[in-house]
Amino acid sequence: MIPAVEFQSVSRHFGATRAVDAVDLTIAEGAFFAMLGPSGSGKTTCLRLISGFEQPTSGTIRIFGADVSNTAPHLRHVNTVFQDYALFPHMTVRDNVAYGLMVKGMGRAQRYAKAEEMLALVHLDSYGNRKPAQLSGGQRQRVALARALVNEPRVLLLDEPLGALDLKLREAMQDELKSLQRRLGITFVFVTHDQSEALSMADSLAVFNDGRIAQIGTPAEIYAHPKTRFVADFVGSSNLLPPALTQSLGGPARWSSLRPEALHPSGTGPITGTVTALRYLGSGNRVTLTTQGQTIAALLPATDAPEIGSTLTLTFAPTALHVMDEA
Amino acid sequence: MRSDASFPLKAAAFAGLAFLHLPILLIFLYAFTTEDRSFAFPPPGLTLKWFAVAWNRPDIWPPLLLSLKVATLSTAMALILGTLVSAAMSRTRFFGRDQLSLLIILPLALPGVITGISLRSAFATLDIPYSTLTIILGHATFCIVIVYNNAVARFRRLSGGILEASADLGANSFQTFRHILLPNLASALLAGGMLAFALSFDEVIVTTFTAGQQATLPIWMLEELVRPRQRPVTNVVAMVVFLATFFPILAAYYLTRGGGETAGGGK
Repeated sequence: MIPAVEFQSVSRHFGATRAVDAVDLTIAEGAFFAMLGPSGSGKTTCLRLISGFEQPTSGTIRIFGADVSNTAPHLRHVNTVFQDYALFPHMTVRDNVAYGLMVKGMGRAQRYAKAEEMLALVHLDSYGNRKPAQLSGGQRQRVALARALVNEPRVLLLDEPLGALDLKLREAMQDELKSLQRRLGITFVFVTHDQSEALSMADSLAVFNDGRIAQIGTPAEIYAHPKTRFVADFVGSSNLLPPALTQSLGGPARWSSLRPEALHPSGTGPITGTVTALRYLGSGNRVTLTTQGQTIAALLPATDAPEIGSTLTLTFAPTALHVMDEA
Repeated sequence: MRSDASFPLKAAAFAGLAFLHLPILLIFLYAFTTEDRSFAFPPPGLTLKWFAVAWNRPDIWPPLLLSLKVATLSTAMALILGTLVSAAMSRTRFFGRDQLSLLIILPLALPGVITGISLRSAFATLDIPYSTLTIILGHATFCIVIVYNNAVARFRRLSGGILEASADLGANSFQTFRHILLPNLASALLAGGMLAFALSFDEVIVTTFTAGQQATLPIWMLEELVRPRQRPVTNVVAMVVFLATFFPILAAYYLTRGGGETAGGGK
């Protein structure tokens, strides 16, 4: 099968800055793909390379097999939902959505009919006559979505699509985007710095660091088997154990990661330390303890609330200690 | 919220307004006086005859038409060049950009005498005869700045994303310009254009240096003051000039209200 998007050692340098550095990437057709990373890690530049607003300094970008490395944005079958939505302020919602069809020369009646169809898809049926300024943030987001989808793109790009929404709305939109993608079968590529968003929405993701992809895989793979310290630390929360500590816990002399939820109180357990902090999270307690000069966090049931200063002994299943490739 | 200014502050404000606007009211008053040699106050009587006299004086029309022509053409030139410069300046970031933007605004801040004398020597060096064209070029130097200032403020407020969004949705650059950029710039350009027109219409200093034998309306008025003949006619013309420049400025103010961007109204 031809992949929807393919990067072959793509680089984009801005002067001396290597925003994207020799990235290889394959996104399968119909995937919900996330590009995750801190700001400045190159994920947004990668998205702009796909949409055509950036040209690679070197390397090849293919969309459904066709080399588009130097193709102008308006000639790619790719549409973007922008971070600030970028709705046209002087047009009604209907004209915004119909814009892509208008510039292709479709007649007014036909394009308005299609625009209404798209507005219905995002549950904004009766909002066609409003101006963007009269909509809430969540509604603008939906208009931006409808405006991009009306062109029937083969790949839809979303730049931090939920960043500007409040928590409740964000969770609702996550479910909605997911079901929309499943129904339409279009390849979605979205950029986010929010690891929980990436884990819950994507069926495949790439973690970016310093212009390179640190790891690529399914959310479960990346969460359970982070390849580098950076990935372990950035995706979820993790205890990063230096080689000496790993060795004392029965592992090889390499860095390892231990998820806080994998730790349980026990009488014997290999980890013994002094409790230095305790945070009540509602669903449980997050306990911090110090052992061998190292701070370790553990997620305990809400009923388990050790005193600060007391000694706590913890154990874990042998498979929970994940040894990383990095020495 | 109602702000309550203290009495001295209010008095000072009124005094300032009076200082600025009473002379203009005097011009209006003397347009109706019956006495045509010296400006005696109060006027011995009021009449409308100077309007008829002004209408029938053949020497008023050529300067008026020349002023309209110069203002129209220099504004048109400024609209094109000013918009292009502002588009370039707001789209890219490069070394020395701030210094360059200062250079663009400089003609407005520069005393008219300097602009005038430098243009005059430039025209002389290039062997360009002083004509309507040289007046238009002279006025365009500051008209461009006014259009630039208005357009650049609008560009700054315009989310750069909408131009990208347009391209992303399949529009070529001309379609983006026609459907997205122009509608969003229109009111700023109209405001800038009107201000530029008004400033060009009553410009004296640069015109004096760049005009040949022709006289624009303000220059004609200056000459009239030296030759005291039918003095109130000058006042009638002054009133017309005032109204012709006041309304564009007022319209420009209302068009760009809320943006705080009616920049450069003070040549």
